[in-house]
Amino acid sequence: MEPARKKTKVKDIDRTIYDFKDKVNPSFEVKEGLTPAIVEEISQKKGDPEWMRGFRLHSLEVYNKLPLPSWGPPLDGLNIDDIVTYIRPKAKMSAKWNDVPDDIKNTFERLGIPKAERESLAGVGAQYDSEVVYHNVREEVRRQGVVYTDMESALKSDKYGPLVKKYFMKVVPPQDHKFAALHGAVWSGGSFVYVPEGVKVEIPLQSYFRLNAPGAGQFEHTLIIVSEGADLHFIEGCSAPKYNVANLHAGCVELVVGKNAHLRYSTIENWSKNMFNLNTKRAVVDEGGTIEWVSGSFGSHVSYLYPMSILKGEHSRMEFTGITFAGKGQSLDTGAKVVHMAPNTYSNINTKSISKDGGYCAYRSSVKIMPDAYGCKSSVSCESLMLDDISGSDTVPVMDIQNDDVEVGHEAKIGRISDDAVFYLMSRGISEQDAKNMIVTGFAEPVAKELPVEYAVEMNNLIKLEMEGAIG
Amino acid sequence: MDLALKEINRLPVPTWNLLGINSADINGVPAVTAPYKGEYLSELPEGVSISDKTVYAPEIDTGMGADAQKFSENNKNCGATLRVKAGVKADKPVFLRYRIGGQNSSVVDVTCIVAEEGSEVTVVENYSSEGGAKGFHGGLTKIYAAKDAAVNLVQVQMLGDGCTHFDNVGGAAEENAVVNILQAQLGAGEAYAGCKVKLLGTGSRLNVDTIYFGDKKRKIDINYVAEHTGRKTRCDINVNGALMDESSKTFRGTINFLKGAKKAVGHESEYNLLFSRKVRSRTAPLILCSEEDVDGQHAAATGKIDPDRLFYLMSRGLSETDAKKLIIKAQFQPAVEKIPDPSIRDAVFDYVKERLDSVESIS
Repeated sequence: MEPARKKTKVKDIDRTIYDFKDKVNPSFEVKEGLTPAIVEEISQKKGDPEWMRGFRLHSLEVYNKLPLPSWGPPLDGLNIDDIVTYIRPKAKMSAKWNDVPDDIKNTFERLGIPKAERESLAGVGAQYDSEVVYHNVREEVRRQGVVYTDMESALKSDKYGPLVKKYFMKVVPPQDHKFAALHGAVWSGGSFVYVPEGVKVEIPLQSYFRLNAPGAGQFEHTLIIVSEGADLHFIEGCSAPKYNVANLHAGCVELVVGKNAHLRYSTIENWSKNMFNLNTKRAVVDEGGTIEWVSGSFGSHVSYLYPMSILKGEHSRMEFTGITFAGKGQSLDTGAKVVHMAPNTYSNINTKSISKDGGYCAYRSSVKIMPDAYGCKSSVSCESLMLDDISGSDTVPVMDIQNDDVEVGHEAKIGRISDDAVFYLMSRGISEQDAKNMIVTGFAEPVAKELPVEYAVEMNNLIKLEMEGAIG
Repeated sequence: MDLALKEINRLPVPTWNLLGINSADINGVPAVTAPYKGEYLSELPEGVSISDKTVYAPEIDTGMGADAQKFSENNKNCGATLRVKAGVKADKPVFLRYRIGGQNSSVVDVTCIVAEEGSEVTVVENYSSEGGAKGFHGGLTKIYAAKDAAVNLVQVQMLGDGCTHFDNVGGAAEENAVVNILQAQLGAGEAYAGCKVKLLGTGSRLNVDTIYFGDKKRKIDINYVAEHTGRKTRCDINVNGALMDESSKTFRGTINFLKGAKKAVGHESEYNLLFSRKVRSRTAPLILCSEEDVDGQHAAATGKIDPDRLFYLMSRGLSETDAKKLIIKAQFQPAVEKIPDPSIRDAVFDYVKERLDSVESIS
């Protein structure tokens, strides 16, 4: 039996989301927003070593040459003037709690986060409380020989400077795409983590403790090196919405996973909904190593986010678990990429996406198996849930297999919440809204169970908040 | 001078350019086509007539895109517009047989099939070439199925390695109409196929069964799009193939649920067996969705033959190579059996057998 549904008026089909190709914001391309002088100034203010100054200028050249992506959601409204304003070291960067939009404030309130922490989570607070926690964490891991510091300190340190130089933007070269090049030119802030051989870090390291660096969270650079046999869980960002005065986030995450090492990288991202999130994340995995990505995308206006894994050593593995939730005014283009370079490597991608209230989700992926990478296994599964008929959801996976000794499977599903399931729950005395919330939470379960419990709880709360009024 | 058709078989939503899957280019397209010599059209069944008028649905798009469509229309040297009268169920298939070789080095056929209300027709297009002949085939087939009509299109391509081939299909189905397409892409040095069918009317259906076979250096490039506009529309796309030697294949399959296509169902599957270290198989199965009340599914599997199956057959006394050949044949069987004409069916089996027999070992 089906509950009565609202009639839908069939209008002309709006395909503009696919037609953006020729109308990529021209003002963005023609204006020469970034100049070598600005980049020099940044470099000088930050006291970069000479090689970094050269690197920034080189990246700027690459940036000016590369075109905007010819695929993905439209970047209209991305304002180069703002980018320049916020990366100029002299510019006023500080954000005020009063400027944080009401919807974000409300979300904090309803998530039950105390005021001091709200402000620090939003990226505008003094970070006093977090700083204390951070120091405690740092002390504990320091005793194990783990280095956990900010990028600037690592870059300038005698001990780790050479390590930074060796790996900095080698995993993600500036030539990769326009925003990687932009990042190379103007990066600032971020974390540096080095885990020595055989060290297993028991507690997850979290990067939001490091948000106090000015400009961090906008072009931050994260470099994590997990040496042979070591083990680390790193949590990036925070589960509460982060308000940023700028409208572009082009961070870069480089992960180097050594032989038989294990790294789990979790992100629950909930940027404010005016943000263009053009982040690049990539891991290189050595023999027998494992990279696990757990990724939740809830915020931002437009996202392009596809963590990539390069399985370089034999028997290396990657697992990706992701969830994307797009509401009103959001176009979230997310997914994962994997390159099987070595034999007997393994990859598993499992994603879920939810679209409601006019939001648009795209799942985009690429699985590439190189000619000499025999004995590889890869499986991809993506499921999309549509909560109403004004939203959109696309699935765009690609598989490129270049030898015969492989097992590659792919599954995709798209649909709505089953009426039968809602009816069943309602017949047990649960309201329609609660029934739907339960079903959506259950849908997100595979991601929630991969997260530390406090993050899972907050993610479920976030879903619940997003679901309010989403009766489809 | 030869021409090139650029950016055909475009993916409806582009992705990373580096993957090289967004579109394909066809080189070596002849600039001038001589008139086709010889008979190609079989005797027509009762109720089916040749019409001068082309399909009265000019908005029909094709899977390979407007450039390929225009090329065929401008350079056409054979083909026919078939009109099936309302209510007529054609008692036998219409055969269009084209052969490259001798006087005919290129076949550019434009075929339109107009099935009026409640009618049914089967059209078989068969392309072959004389041994070792070099040539070109670039075909366009447009299908219009009116209310309650059924159109079965069977395309069998068994051209020699010296030929470049493309099959460009576009169709539209009105209320409760059914379009069944069977494509066997078995030959040619380079084989391109595109198909786009718009399911306009409530309850209209599209079934696509495709088999492909790659050996030597064959390049196969396929782009299918099922566009669901009407309510309760349904598409099933099943693609089965085998790749050997240094062959390569790109398969793009898109199910597009447009707004208003409530209760639409779209299923797509691709099974691909690989038999050589040097093959390359690329797949992009897209589901685009602007409507919530739909059911879209896609499954793809690529890899080696299941060792258990192989072991079973070998335990029955077959050599490894023979067992593999048998498995390839079995992969094609369900689609081939749908070919209505026994002589073409046998020809397909013989063709595959011949190709496989020339193989001494399969890795």
